[in-house]
Amino acid sequence: MTNETLLRLGRRPAAVTALTVVALHLGAAVFAPLLSPADPYAMIGFPLMPPDGTNLLGTDELGRDFLTRLLHGGRTALLVAFASGALAVGGGGLAGLAAARYGGWVDDAICRLVDMQLALPSILFVSLFVAGFGQSLPMLVLVVALLMSMGVVRTARAQGLGLMEQGFVKAAILRGETGFSIILREMLPNAAELLAVELALRSSSALLLVSALSFLSLGISAPTPDWGLMIRDGLTSMRTEPWLVAAPAAMISSLVIAINVATEGVAEALGLEAARGGA
Amino acid sequence: MSTTTLIDARDLSVGYEMADGGLRTVLDRVRFGLAPGVALGIVGESGSGKTTLGRALLGHLRDGGRFTGGTLTVAGIDVTDARSVARSGLRGRIAAMAPQNPLSSLTHHLAVGAQIEEILRLRAGLSRTAARDRAIALMAETGLPDPARLARRYPHQLSGGQRQRVIIAAALACDPALLVLDEPTSALDKSTEAQVLDLVAGIRAERGMGLVLISHDLNVVARVCDRVMVMRHGRLVEEGPVEAVYSAPQAQYTRDLLDSARPTRAAPVRPRGAGGPLLRAEALHFAYPEATLLGSRARKAAALSDIAFDLHRGETLGVIGESGSGKSTLAALVCGLRAPTAGRLLFDGAALGALAGRRSREQLRRIQIVFQDPLSSLNPRLRCGESVMHAMRHFLGAGSREARERSAGLFAQLGLEPDLFERYPRQLSGGQQQRVAIARAFAAEPDLLICDEVTSALDAAVQGQVLDLLASMQARSGCAILLITHDLGVLRRMAGRTLVLDKGRMAESGTTAEVFSSPRSTTAAALLAAAHQIERRSTTPIQTLETTA
Amino acid sequence: MLFGAILRRLLLSGLTMLLLSCFVFLATEVLPGDALDMTLTADELSAMPPEALEQKRRELGLDRPAVERLGIFLGDMARLDFGTTVITGAPVADIVWYPFRNSLALAGATLAIALPLALVLGIAAAVWRGRAADGAVSTAAIVGYSIPEFVIGTVLVMLFSVAWPIFPATVTANTRAPLSELLAAAPLAVATVVIGSVAYLTRILRAGMIETLASDAMERLRLAGIPKARIVLVHALPAAILPALTAAALYAAALVSGIVVVELLFAYPGIGQEMVRAVTMRETPVIQAIAILAAAVVVAANLAADLSMLALDPRRRG
Repeated sequence: MTNETLLRLGRRPAAVTALTVVALHLGAAVFAPLLSPADPYAMIGFPLMPPDGTNLLGTDELGRDFLTRLLHGGRTALLVAFASGALAVGGGGLAGLAAARYGGWVDDAICRLVDMQLALPSILFVSLFVAGFGQSLPMLVLVVALLMSMGVVRTARAQGLGLMEQGFVKAAILRGETGFSIILREMLPNAAELLAVELALRSSSALLLVSALSFLSLGISAPTPDWGLMIRDGLTSMRTEPWLVAAPAAMISSLVIAINVATEGVAEALGLEAARGGA
Repeated sequence: MSTTTLIDARDLSVGYEMADGGLRTVLDRVRFGLAPGVALGIVGESGSGKTTLGRALLGHLRDGGRFTGGTLTVAGIDVTDARSVARSGLRGRIAAMAPQNPLSSLTHHLAVGAQIEEILRLRAGLSRTAARDRAIALMAETGLPDPARLARRYPHQLSGGQRQRVIIAAALACDPALLVLDEPTSALDKSTEAQVLDLVAGIRAERGMGLVLISHDLNVVARVCDRVMVMRHGRLVEEGPVEAVYSAPQAQYTRDLLDSARPTRAAPVRPRGAGGPLLRAEALHFAYPEATLLGSRARKAAALSDIAFDLHRGETLGVIGESGSGKSTLAALVCGLRAPTAGRLLFDGAALGALAGRRSREQLRRIQIVFQDPLSSLNPRLRCGESVMHAMRHFLGAGSREARERSAGLFAQLGLEPDLFERYPRQLSGGQQQRVAIARAFAAEPDLLICDEVTSALDAAVQGQVLDLLASMQARSGCAILLITHDLGVLRRMAGRTLVLDKGRMAESGTTAEVFSSPRSTTAAALLAAAHQIERRSTTPIQTLETTA
Repeated sequence: MLFGAILRRLLLSGLTMLLLSCFVFLATEVLPGDALDMTLTADELSAMPPEALEQKRRELGLDRPAVERLGIFLGDMARLDFGTTVITGAPVADIVWYPFRNSLALAGATLAIALPLALVLGIAAAVWRGRAADGAVSTAAIVGYSIPEFVIGTVLVMLFSVAWPIFPATVTANTRAPLSELLAAAPLAVATVVIGSVAYLTRILRAGMIETLASDAMERLRLAGIPKARIVLVHALPAAILPALTAAALYAAALVSGIVVVELLFAYPGIGQEMVRAVTMRETPVIQAIAILAAAVVVAANLAADLSMLALDPRRRG
């Protein structure tokens, strides 16, 4: 990011606020163990107690300190989301650039695969794997990454096709450079900014997906603290203790909104076309 | 509302708001006037502000544009004031514009007749039937064949020339006192261009209309206009009657523009050396692939067919044609970016692999190419010197220190200051970037250099310089050059022999002097005629091109 | 030319379904352990003698090689023979048909409301770009599609069911109830999906409209003095509708996912409930059936959008 990009970013109060919110969330997630008053798994009080001196936000339906669980609630989901996002961008980015570089049947096959996969609704996609392979965190990361990579492949391929038209890439081809070195040396560095934006977007999509899956009991499993799970569990006590649902809902919403607003702002400041928010 | 002047611009300034809040000046204190019924040509390169000025005459600026100073009065109406423009109904009625790019300027889901009728109904208040009849009459006036039937067609079903006529017809709908034409012929081939320009001149004479013709091409302006205005970087450089400006230009920039359009030196025809040709093309044929049900196959319409020529060591062969003639495809075939669908290429007697992947390292080294767009030629993430050094290390196996020294030497030969070595491409001007690209090409010590429209994207002031440097590099190294261009001036300056392409076929070939003094093909004749307009309007004697030994 | 184009798209859709079916099969059946291991508990597995296990395997056809099983699977899917459930042996088709119908109805109702709304909002935001109306719409859109559906649904329930008891929190209608009755009993469910859809579609339409309004064709009309309203309605709008259709079709897959979550939240008798039950109980045939049906809907939606593009855009007809 150059100085002028930072300046342009500075002129967008919305993006700056959003970035701050994201930073706060990340800080809370990373430092949750330090900031929390209690252990997220320990049952330290009676269930469904209202807020008081010891439990600032009361206790949940199993008697655990709610504030602690709230602070920890993003950790696993964010970890899964960023891991998936990173894998998706790494794998999808290379695949997309390769499709653009090699063209021909490689391109056809990759496009076919992407179109095909995009036809399967994401929740169903993951359910297939959960049904087949059981529910585990590594599998969740891999499957979500696979899902997210499709959109990245499309974007990377479009960027790659544009790069292939550039003189310096043609010059590299005419030097007899191997296909792979062209992708690494000429194409990847010039797609880096776009891929960074993709990373943010796919991670936020992944976060939404993982939360939804947890809500459906198909994602992260209890007793791990997770906002999606907390919403699911809090539904039954919604009338009497609405904050059990409202707080985690606010956390997920604020984080994803912040990521999306910030990403758009950064993309605009970088001069990239704001990505149209993938499925 | 009758006035003695049609246009009166006094210190007119226009600025555009930038994304980061600043204001970029697009027009800087422009001052000129135009009497009714006179044709004015506005000449300049991209970025000169000519299109903005054209729009400003209608009181319209693109999003983010503002009038920042001065006044502009058209037919007595102050166009810098949006309200007076609206009140007077200026746009479309008193002054009308025929914009660039006819294909993208017409709504693609409406028939062309309907689009003309729309203006007649809404701006001239005609009834539906009256509008339909008038639209057909206008289409006939602009030379469209069978107007009643053509009116029901969609824009994409018409040819480029026909679309241009539709756009002009729509602009003429309400009998404007002023017609502004923005690059009316840049997408057309030379013969169609001539027809459209003659049409415009005729209409103008008949209606006694004022005309403003915006173009980057001095020949186009020469054909139609009484007066000419030269613009550069938003400023008015020179203005006056066409004969005066073309014969005795006051400003250096105007001289540069005239020079690049009309060279005074012809390129030498080098005697063919002993031994066979360096490059030989035999029955080259290429058609782009198109998607079919299951895969792809070659299109029926070929981009190139039956191309055959010889290129000898040290000589410069020019390939000229309009867009769509196949000349860039030829460059791609020779350098190995595309494979011919039939025919073959021989390099120094040996068969040349179809694609770069199938060529030997030596063949790749000996054939180099410089592309049209200088900025995209260089990897934005590498420093300029690094781009050149990498090529040298790759092709000549030079060590780091040797590569650095020799690359610096190349920079010097091309007139590039040493500190540009460490800069990034975006920090250089277009002309400098192109010279770095040329340096990179020569780093490989090629025997054949393909130049694909290498000056088309450069300022007129810089074009001559780059071509001269290219010629000197060639003389130094003895390499042959395959020069692809659409510009007759560039061709005559650099190429001793010429190949004229038309729609993928060879229309004519021979020495440049022969082809362009007595052309046998219609293509070459049209190119020559279009390029002679300046001569027609200039009182300096037509200089016969001196040939150097 | 036109016929060839249509044929090509039909063939491609068919190919996509074929590949998808293979994928569904791969994801659920070719894996360590098989359906039997998944459906029987560890106790049951150890209690059954080996010959009985082998017998069961043969019955279910699990002993045949994978490729053969794939072939059988594809054949079954082509005939819409979804087989029977592993545990109870009931026909899968009976289990999924009504829920599938109900989900389609929910999706249909949503799009019927969301598309026109998104069109109006998107166009308004584009026409008054940069002004208050645009700011409001764009912000609402970002918020709307960032917040997960189950959160939107929960908030709606808290507002209109708990705080002000206007609407029911869950759907009480029967699975096989007539569609009108069903949808009338699920206003909050419909509202939830509509909100998410409108947010997403509005952004896309707005962007498309902005691009169209900036095009050369619209500039020419402005230079000719044609009134703004006419430019938007007669020239820009039709040009923007086509990308809108494509966007809606591409959104179909996301819509199905969103519906699944909402159905669970509101206990709407759609495929969402069936799916989660099937996954928890490892009812592979049911999951496969649901996956194939959902994919078919998405592929069909894309095909429909593609074909309408062909029909409505004069340029593509050649």
